Amino acid sequence: MSAEAPRPRVAALALAVGLVLADSSIVVLALPDIYRQLDTSVAGVSWVLVSFNLVMALAAVPAAHLARRVGPGRAAAVGLAIFAGAGLACAVSDQLSTLIAARCVQAIGGALAVTAVLELLPATVGSERRAAALWATAGATGAALGPAVGGLLTELVSWQSIFLIQVPIALAAAVPILAVARHEVATGVLSTELRRTGRPHLLANLALALVSAAIAGALFLLVLLLIEGWRLSPIGAAIVVSVMPLAALLGSRLDRLVPSARARAAAGAVLVSGGLGGLALLPKAEVALTVPPQVMIGIGLALVLSALTETALSGRAPQAIHGGWTISARHAGVVIGILAVTPIFTHDIAQQRHDAINAGTAVILDSKAPPLLKLNLAQKIESRLEDEKGKVPTIGPAFEPLPTDPEEHDQVVELREELQDQLNRGATHAFSPSFGLAALIGLLSLIPIGLARRVEL
Amino acid sequence: MNAERRSFLLVGGAIVSALLLVGVYLAAGGASYTPEKTQDPCKHRAWRNPEGLQQIAEQFTLSALDGAACRLGVSRETLAQALATPEARERFKERYHISDAKLARAVRAGLLRAVDDAEEAGALSPFLAGPLRETLRSVPLDQAIELINNAESLLNNVEGFLGPAQELLEGFLP
Repeated sequence: MSAEAPRPRVAALALAVGLVLADSSIVVLALPDIYRQLDTSVAGVSWVLVSFNLVMALAAVPAAHLARRVGPGRAAAVGLAIFAGAGLACAVSDQLSTLIAARCVQAIGGALAVTAVLELLPATVGSERRAAALWATAGATGAALGPAVGGLLTELVSWQSIFLIQVPIALAAAVPILAVARHEVATGVLSTELRRTGRPHLLANLALALVSAAIAGALFLLVLLLIEGWRLSPIGAAIVVSVMPLAALLGSRLDRLVPSARARAAAGAVLVSGGLGGLALLPKAEVALTVPPQVMIGIGLALVLSALTETALSGRAPQAIHGGWTISARHAGVVIGILAVTPIFTHDIAQQRHDAINAGTAVILDSKAPPLLKLNLAQKIESRLEDEKGKVPTIGPAFEPLPTDPEEHDQVVELREELQDQLNRGATHAFSPSFGLAALIGLLSLIPIGLARRVEL
Repeated sequence: MNAERRSFLLVGGAIVSALLLVGVYLAAGGASYTPEKTQDPCKHRAWRNPEGLQQIAEQFTLSALDGAACRLGVSRETLAQALATPEARERFKERYHISDAKLARAVRAGLLRAVDDAEEAGALSPFLAGPLRETLRSVPLDQAIELINNAESLLNNVEGFLGPAQELLEGFLP
């Protein structure tokens, strides 16, 4: 079959995997917009991300079994159709509850499509090893590109456009797969032999879950820090976080240089944790300082995800079931990561915001500005806090209109900068414990990776 | 280079890079990038060489805020924001479970501390400080807050504020 396999079919299969796995992270940059438009809480909006990953984690293995039973061509086509339909429902949702429900359905369709594609790929590309490599690369590329694409769409169009654009892409990917489905229906023969399922790679999947938790925490927290903490626009944040997928491309080239999957997995986990450690210890609120940690995380994720997926699938049959386990482990990790860091940083950001406002007010009260002016400023800050309802405030309007007197004007501008510096310090510091926790989770993945040296998986 | 050596270099390089990044960020102050701490309002703060009515008024206001904040167990900055508007005051009272009477006592205590500090700094004559204290002990809450927010008008018009004693007190302000 590989000799006749048309390139559009291979591209369609890779596109389907990339599209579905991008969805686990594509809404990250849209969360602040959804948070504001649907008037919810940080914990509430995180469920737009969590629900999709949770259902993917739960549905991946049953979906793989279903795909093998009904035929992977049919399963992939139906899965993509469900994914597209649910994407449309996400786009028209005007309530958090309906959006989350549609995301759950989208995840079911996605799980069916992704695991079925892994069953179709070996016959299409010629070998299980090449199929696994293509599948893992498409998935990692989709997951890494997701936030940047989502950020661009949110800024240029709207958060709804993220879901709308998925509809034609999913349907386009389904068209070449329909030929396989028709073949299955016509012949009544499944393209793959129903083999007995071996047990999953426990340690590799455990390590995948832990490292995915760390990476999810990194993406989720970094985006919130950039948009909610440092007040970047979604497009600005998208440009900043695109460092990670670019570095991941670099990391994927190291795959060929180091054949040992364990060494790549260990190095990747160390790099992800080191990068997260750097984000936990940012010395200033400057975008440039996030670049070195992001480069490390990007290279690390490319190394560790491909190495662990390769280990989990190596010599195991059937591929779809074991691929389902890796999907399950990765998405369970994403859920754990987000749920672990969200309560910590939502508590910390409230406390740090309070401390930062007090520190900024102290700067104003102790300044040499005229007494009535500075007391008035300190009090206008209170109004800004009330207007922004618990978020890290944009403090500029509290200082408007600027005084016309040149001396007073300069004093007020200086005070505004000092206050904004205090707020940036507060916001950045609020994220530190969560980044630290994510780094620790990443380091924990070294335990199963290390044990894998001695234990037959 | 054999595969084992490449594996060793990859893992070693990753460890060194991670430690280097964390070390450099720590050395650059990463662990100390936090908001400045506000000072304890109960601690005495010396006045900064007040010259002229405006500076005296400023120091008076800050001392009064310190005194009231100390009595209420909050920071001076929190209280300054709380006294901004009636709405802010209501939110503050609700958040810290403070009654009008308790707030009034605290604000009066703050004003008295400001008079003490002004006298100690030589910015207010003892002859004026005594009657001013007596008046401030019974001033209503809204007026007490207004005096904190606009100490300059108090000090500028202290004679009017003290009523019949004004003629005796004229000339005591520096």
